[in-house]
Amino acid sequence: MSAGGAVPGQRAARAARSPDRRSRRQLALMLTPYLVGLVGLVLVPALVTLGLSVTDYDLLRPPTWAGLDNFTALLNDPIFRVALLNSVVFALVAVPLRVLLALGLALLLHRRAPGVGTARTAALLPTAVPEIAYGLLWLWLFNPLYGPINQLLRVGGEHGLTALGRTPPQWLTDPTSARAGIILMSLFTMGETFVVLLAARRALPRDVYEMAAVEDATGWDVFRRITLPLMAPVLALLAVRDAVASLHFTFVPAFVVTDGGPPPYATTYLSLFVYQTGFEYLRYGYAAAATLVMMLLTVAAVLVQWRLIRRYRRFYQV
Amino acid sequence: MSDGLVLDGVSAAYRDTAVLHEVDLSVARGELLVVLGPSGAGKSTVLRVVAGLEPVTAGRVRIADRDVTDERPGRRNVSMVFQSYALFPHLTVVENIAFGLEVRDTPRRLARERARAAAETVGCAGLLDRRPGQLSGGERQRVALARALVREPDVFLLDEPLSNLDLALRAEMRAELRALHDRIGATMVHVTHDQTEALVLADRIAVLRDGRVEQVGTPDEIWRTPASTFVARFVGSPAMNLLPADGPLRPRGDAPTLGEEPLEIGFRPEAVALDAAEGTPATVDRVEVIGEDAFAYLSLAAGHQVVARVPAARRPARGATVRLDVRWADAHLFHAATGRRYRP
Repeated sequence: MSAGGAVPGQRAARAARSPDRRSRRQLALMLTPYLVGLVGLVLVPALVTLGLSVTDYDLLRPPTWAGLDNFTALLNDPIFRVALLNSVVFALVAVPLRVLLALGLALLLHRRAPGVGTARTAALLPTAVPEIAYGLLWLWLFNPLYGPINQLLRVGGEHGLTALGRTPPQWLTDPTSARAGIILMSLFTMGETFVVLLAARRALPRDVYEMAAVEDATGWDVFRRITLPLMAPVLALLAVRDAVASLHFTFVPAFVVTDGGPPPYATTYLSLFVYQTGFEYLRYGYAAAATLVMMLLTVAAVLVQWRLIRRYRRFYQV
Repeated sequence: MSDGLVLDGVSAAYRDTAVLHEVDLSVARGELLVVLGPSGAGKSTVLRVVAGLEPVTAGRVRIADRDVTDERPGRRNVSMVFQSYALFPHLTVVENIAFGLEVRDTPRRLARERARAAAETVGCAGLLDRRPGQLSGGERQRVALARALVREPDVFLLDEPLSNLDLALRAEMRAELRALHDRIGATMVHVTHDQTEALVLADRIAVLRDGRVEQVGTPDEIWRTPASTFVARFVGSPAMNLLPADGPLRPRGDAPTLGEEPLEIGFRPEAVALDAAEGTPATVDRVEVIGEDAFAYLSLAAGHQVVARVPAARRPARGATVRLDVRWADAHLFHAATGRRYRP
């Protein structure tokens, strides 16, 4: 096995050092589908967006040069500012909660025990539901009258109030409740994060935990001094990845469940703002400028991610 | 002498497979016991049962005259050095050593001070601010030792701590470990599959086979009066020769009284003389030269094999016929059926 494995490995290494024409052509051929996708679906649209962002364009008349007008307009657009704020607040609240929930579940479910397999599947399942269906499902869950969430909250109360005599949250009509609702929706789709953390926890060496047991470390000490620091690199990466993705995964809930409302634009996030500006109001140039702002936010998050990786690499120095 | 550690009829199982069968062991306070055995014999399980990392299915474990069978690992006051060292990769050396003190709520400054002292004892005081990833195998080993030393446990448990080191370093650390034990006088249980390590380190050796204690004794006793063919062949390299007592070879000298039942004669390669005038004829199959020594692999009549250790300068040629001779004084007798030592 090891002798057989070594030969192709050496050959690959040699090929990488002095790629002859044949293998170079093969590599190019294998890269082509990805490159075509990357250029066609990412690079060209990005460039078109960049181009459109300095024009006025409504699909009917040819684009006209607008310079930086779109960007100055964005700065003064109260709806855009609300959308930006909503997106940032969502990321700041939902991302840590999602990672914490996934971490908690991963630590709870990493051991072999009866029922663990079922529990893991349950944790993963909401992520596998198609987004629109997931949104429609929550539309029902959130319904203030016959939705199961509020029915549950009303248990033990009278006249449609909760047991504590308070009005149950008006998920779809109250701005704060609606924002909380969107965050709640996003929590259950942390399946991917959960799986990564589960794998990360299971990859931690067992003897280190036995060592801690012999030294009589408490559960809290073990979590704080061992598990958390050892998983920190993964947690940081997942948090940044989630933050980037949060710009996108607010779209379907806001689009299907709350339609950006209730007033005043309580759940209009950047993604929905771009969609409405572009496809409902046909202001393509303006939407492109907003998209660029979103992309800049993403780049900033990726830069943070990169710095974190570099820091941890130095930290562990294996 | 008061007892440091007692295993009283301890059995243990992994899933449904029994790993230890009613193991009785006692380690005196300040004694270094080496648990020796091939892989799969249950050596590490002995340590893990003592540490409380593995439950017993029967029997009691007593540490420092206290029954700890039902105590959790942290309440047994033992220190363990793992084969992999189990250092925390994200902590510096000093933090690693101080870990056990800090989780037991020793004030940070005091913990660091004692960590420094422990590091000095094992000679890794210069590494305090490094992380495990920056250390060599030997250095990690020292840190793991220092971490075990920093508290004052009733028993030190060492699980093959030298097995990840290269040969020269292993010999060096072996000597240091023995010196350390003599200096601090702690009760230690050291697990290894390396018979040399066991012979050099141990006050007493417990030889383990398939979850049962085969023999407990001083290195001398283990070497000179092995209790079974298993112990005889496991300790010593190459292994002791075994031939049927009524076979081709008759040792020289006064024979002990032999009973009726079939016996086996055992003798170490060192006990074989090749240049006897009268002796059993044998053919040299092959010769291995290791520096000053040579090991001659011989075929006797009826296909019996014997290894002889001879000075390299006087080694026989391959294919040559030699006459070999063994004295009764160097021979061991075992029951052929059970493998236990025969006592006339």
